[in-house]
Amino acid sequence: MRIEKCWFCSSAVYPGHGIQFVRNDAKIFRFCRSKCHKNFKMKRNPRKVKWTKAYRRLHGKDMTQDSTFEFERKRNRPERYDRNLTENTLKAIKTIDKVRSRREAKHIETRKKGKKAQLMREAVKELEQSISLVKAPSVLEEDKSYTLPKIKVKVSQAEAKNQPMEE
Amino acid sequence: MVQYNFKNITVVPNGKDFIDIILSRTQRQTPTVVHKGYAISRLRQFYMRKVKYTQTNYYDKLSTIIDEFPRLDDIHPFYGDLLHVLYNKDHYKLALGQINTARNLISKIAKDYVRLLKYGDSLYRCKCLKVAALGRMCTVIKRVAPSLAYLEQIRQHMARLPSIDPNTRTILICGYPNVGKSSFINKITRADVDVQPYAFTTKSLFVGHTDYKYLRYQVIDTPGILDRPFEDRNIIEMCSITALAHLRAAVLFFLDISGSCGYTIAQQAALFHSIKSLFMNKPLTIVCNKTDLQPLEGLSEEDMKLVMEMKAEAMKTVIGQGGEPTDDQGVLLTMSTLTEDGVIAVKNAACERLLDQRVEIKMKSKKINDCLNRFHVAIPKPRDQKERPPCIPQAVLEAKAKQAAEKEKRKTEKDLENENGGAGVYSASLKKNYILANDEWKEDVLPEILDGHNVYDFIDPDILQRLEELEQEEGLRQAEEVDDDFEMDGKELTPEEQQALAEIRKKKSLLIQQHRIKKSTAESRPIVPRKFDKDKQFTTRRMGRQLSALGLDPSKAIDRARSRSRGRKRERSPDNDGGDAMDMDVDTPNKRLRMRSRSRSRSVSRPPGEVVPGEGFRDSAQKVKAQKLAKKSSKKRNKDARRGEADRVIPTLKPKHLFSGKRSSGKTDRR
Repeated sequence: MRIEKCWFCSSAVYPGHGIQFVRNDAKIFRFCRSKCHKNFKMKRNPRKVKWTKAYRRLHGKDMTQDSTFEFERKRNRPERYDRNLTENTLKAIKTIDKVRSRREAKHIETRKKGKKAQLMREAVKELEQSISLVKAPSVLEEDKSYTLPKIKVKVSQAEAKNQPMEE
Repeated sequence: MVQYNFKNITVVPNGKDFIDIILSRTQRQTPTVVHKGYAISRLRQFYMRKVKYTQTNYYDKLSTIIDEFPRLDDIHPFYGDLLHVLYNKDHYKLALGQINTARNLISKIAKDYVRLLKYGDSLYRCKCLKVAALGRMCTVIKRVAPSLAYLEQIRQHMARLPSIDPNTRTILICGYPNVGKSSFINKITRADVDVQPYAFTTKSLFVGHTDYKYLRYQVIDTPGILDRPFEDRNIIEMCSITALAHLRAAVLFFLDISGSCGYTIAQQAALFHSIKSLFMNKPLTIVCNKTDLQPLEGLSEEDMKLVMEMKAEAMKTVIGQGGEPTDDQGVLLTMSTLTEDGVIAVKNAACERLLDQRVEIKMKSKKINDCLNRFHVAIPKPRDQKERPPCIPQAVLEAKAKQAAEKEKRKTEKDLENENGGAGVYSASLKKNYILANDEWKEDVLPEILDGHNVYDFIDPDILQRLEELEQEEGLRQAEEVDDDFEMDGKELTPEEQQALAEIRKKKSLLIQQHRIKKSTAESRPIVPRKFDKDKQFTTRRMGRQLSALGLDPSKAIDRARSRSRGRKRERSPDNDGGDAMDMDVDTPNKRLRMRSRSRSRSVSRPPGEVVPGEGFRDSAQKVKAQKLAKKSSKKRNKDARRGEADRVIPTLKPKHLFSGKRSSGKTDRR
């Protein structure tokens, strides 16, 4: 009993699930469900279909290369049974899983937040270059900061006199 | 002559069917149309043909029947007797004889009527003659119909007879009913004969085939024989008697020593002695069956004596063949078909004896000399008198002895299975002989799938080491991550700067929008010149606002702009203004003044909707009406997007959406 990989979406095909298609050149295509099977029959390329793992790996959405992937390799020569080895392997599988999922989550996190620094730099540059649209150069020379200029409003004398009375 | 396969006899039709077949064939295969006016010879010929055709057909068909049915005297006496037993020779011969006479009668009828037809003088007379001829022929057949039916039945039965080759090696099984003959044949051949507790389950001969020493033997199972005088026997028993009498075979006489067949050994012995004449020249073996119920040693004195008598008789047959007179190995055998104990031994003994007998006979015949002349066994001449026995090393002899001993002592898996309850109950432990580092691990069950992974893919002798490396790596990574997080808080913009940035972006987008509008309209439409400032974009107020937003003091600029537009006052300003004013003065002072005053006064004084009379119209009302008419005429054209009266351009001659598509009901003549 083996868990196979769906050819289209790369998800796990458990025994008793899915469909296996054997082509005339003896290449075997396994599908986890009819959705993948029908997509295949429509001759769609999984690398172009957004929800498949192939697409995600290709477009850098998911982690591609990692040392945790090296642990799981299809072995053709069986090893002689050793109880200790098996115990260790079973425990190891769990830790490897944890490590791998943590790394994948990290990868996605960095992907999502990565742009902040770049945006900051762009904003600063834009501010420096285009400040002349909102601030006259002569004003800029007096006040070197990159902020909006203070709008001078002429206050008449009559009003100035009235102020202490209002207060 | 058909040898022993009666399956190829053609079907004998029913009397009525026979007539129908022949007559319809006559009607179809001979010309049917005839008229009064034909020449008389033609008429005669027409009817003669019909009569002759019918006669020929009858003759052919009856001949095939007669030829295909075997003549009892010409076939092997075994089959002759068998058919006689089953169907009664006389009756059979009579039936065939009747068919023969029918055939001859029909021929005679045809001959007579053809002779009469030769002198027929009218269509009607000829027709009557033909009708009479055919009618008589058919009556003959009708009279013979019962024989045809009987022959058909015989044919069906004969086709189902077992195909026994009387000349090949045969083993015959006989004995009382219910002694176990059919069970025996089921055991040694692939025949599937009915085995039931009642007597006469087997009602006819059954054939099975078995092999011995690369030769094929026929085994014939017979129905049981009772001890009766010959004349009282029924058909079923006669079958077995016939087989016994005519087939040159090895005979196995079955004896039920337990008496569970319902007959005592005495009765069975009596039967044996009554038919022992049939065992002449046949290798006879007495087989004691059902030893699981009653072993041979446990028999009583008289029974034992009877059995020994039978054995003595059987021994005589051995001696009679010129074989070893003291060989009593294959004469009296015991077995049990239920436990399969001794079955193979019986078969082997019978086959062996038959083979010996046949070889003996062959050796004595004349034909063998031709064969003998053809082979020659070369025997090398001995060089000297020294003995040279085969040399087998001691080790090999010892090993052989040991192997033999082991083979007997070793317990096979099958024995183990039988001990623990048989095939359905016990399932062999396949892991018993595994070679592992520690024997305790033999019964371990290894999971194949864990958490969506195949465990086999992960098994690796160095897995612990690699796991450690991974953990170290992971530790390092996590440390790095913490460092990274600290670095992330970098420069941030202050709220005022953010505000400025927002303003900048807003302004930029506005500029872009305006530019786009201008660009799109400028190519296809005339632009309104600046002086007809609809949106009031070019006011001093606006300019003042924009300049103050930039941080500059707009008052001076506003004043200057206003002074220029309001008709000039000669301001003697000491700076560049004066220089410019002077220049303007020199060039065109009056023109400017006049243009300004006139244009301003004109544009202010007239309201927008007013129509000025003139241009040949009586008054404003008429002009208004004229304008309305002009507008009305061009309105439709404008709606059709035509440039003028003469514009008849059709941009697309056949737009697809007007010419394609089906209607769910109705025609597509109009669109």
